[in-house]
Amino acid sequence: MRGKFKAALAVMLAPLALPAAASEGTRIQVTGEIIDTWCYYSGVMGGPDAVVGSAHHTCALWCSAGGIPVGLLAEDGTVYMVLKIEQDAGSASGDTQLSLAAHTVTADGMLYERDGLNYLVVSEVISDMDIVNTTHEDYGTVPPFSFPDPNK
Amino acid sequence: MIIRALLAALLVSGPLVAGTPLPFDIGGPFKLTDQYGQTRTEADPDGRAQLLFFGYANCQNICSAALPAMAGVVDTLAEDGISVTPVMITVAPDQDRVGTMGAPLAEIHPDFVGLTGEPEALKSAWDAFSVEVEPLFQDPEYGWIYSHGSFVHLLDADGRLLTLLPPVLSVDETATILRTYLSPDGS
Repeated sequence: MRGKFKAALAVMLAPLALPAAASEGTRIQVTGEIIDTWCYYSGVMGGPDAVVGSAHHTCALWCSAGGIPVGLLAEDGTVYMVLKIEQDAGSASGDTQLSLAAHTVTADGMLYERDGLNYLVVSEVISDMDIVNTTHEDYGTVPPFSFPDPNK
Repeated sequence: MIIRALLAALLVSGPLVAGTPLPFDIGGPFKLTDQYGQTRTEADPDGRAQLLFFGYANCQNICSAALPAMAGVVDTLAEDGISVTPVMITVAPDQDRVGTMGAPLAEIHPDFVGLTGEPEALKSAWDAFSVEVEPLFQDPEYGWIYSHGSFVHLLDADGRLLTLLPPVLSVDETATILRTYLSPDGS
C-alpha cells in the first residue's frame, strides 16, 4: 500500500448498485454478523477475531461507507458476500448496511453460488440483535486510529 | 495461513463452476481514450480477455491494493499461457488524463491500460457497470479522493462480462476462478 490505510477506510469504494435481472437462487435463512470483508480477508488490521464485533465497528462503518461489500459471517463460519439488503440496492454504504455494521442478524434472502462464492441478496432482516460480539473488551478499537482521538 | 483458512470459508466447497447467474445485469459498450491518446472500446484490440476495475491511477487507497492484485493475477495467468489485459477506467478524470495516468499504471504492470474520457462517455461506462462515483474530500497532497465501485470484472475479448469478483480475494484465489473461464489463448 502506498498510502495510509486510515485514509483507505474513508475512501474505498461506493456501492455496486444492482439493476434487477431475472435469475434463480436458493432461499435461505442464516444468522450471523455483518462484517467488513476487506479487513476480514486482507488481515491488514489484525486477525479475524479482532476485525469483527464491537472492536471493529467504526472501521467497518468507514469501509462500508467507502463501498467495500459487506459480508455475513454465519455461525458455522461461512461467509456470504451481501449484494443487497432489503431496500438498499447496493453491496455497501446504504443506510441499512451502515446501520447493521457489526450487528448479528438473522437474514432471509436468496443465495447465489457463483465462482465458488456465496452471494446473498437479503430480502428481509428477520431479527437484529445489535452488536453482541463484544470484541472491544479484548482488543479495544481495531484499528486504534479508526476512532478519532477527541483530544487531538 | 489464517487468510487462506478464511478464504476457504468464503469459497463454497466443491469444484469451481460459474454456477447460478447473479440477479443483476451489468456490462456494456464504452468508448474511451487510453493513456496514449488512442480510442479504445470494450473490445480488446489484441483479442485478449480483460480484467476491468474502476478506480484512479494515483489512488492511495483501495486501488493501491486492487490494481497490484490485478497485476498479480495477470502475471499468474500468464504463467499458464493465459493472456489477460488489465484495464482501469478512471473515476477521476480530473487527475487521470492522457499523459498523466500512464506512468503510475506502468509501475503496477507494463500492460495496464488506463482509460479516461469526456464526462458523458465516462458516465456511460460507469452506468453500464453500475459503478457509483462520488467525490469525498480534497486531499492537499493528492487532490480529490473518490468513493467508487469496488468489484473486479472479467470481460472476454469482445467486452462481454463473464463474471465479477469482490476485491477481497487473493491473487491465487482470483486466478483459480478465472482459469475456469479462460483458455490459454485468452479467449
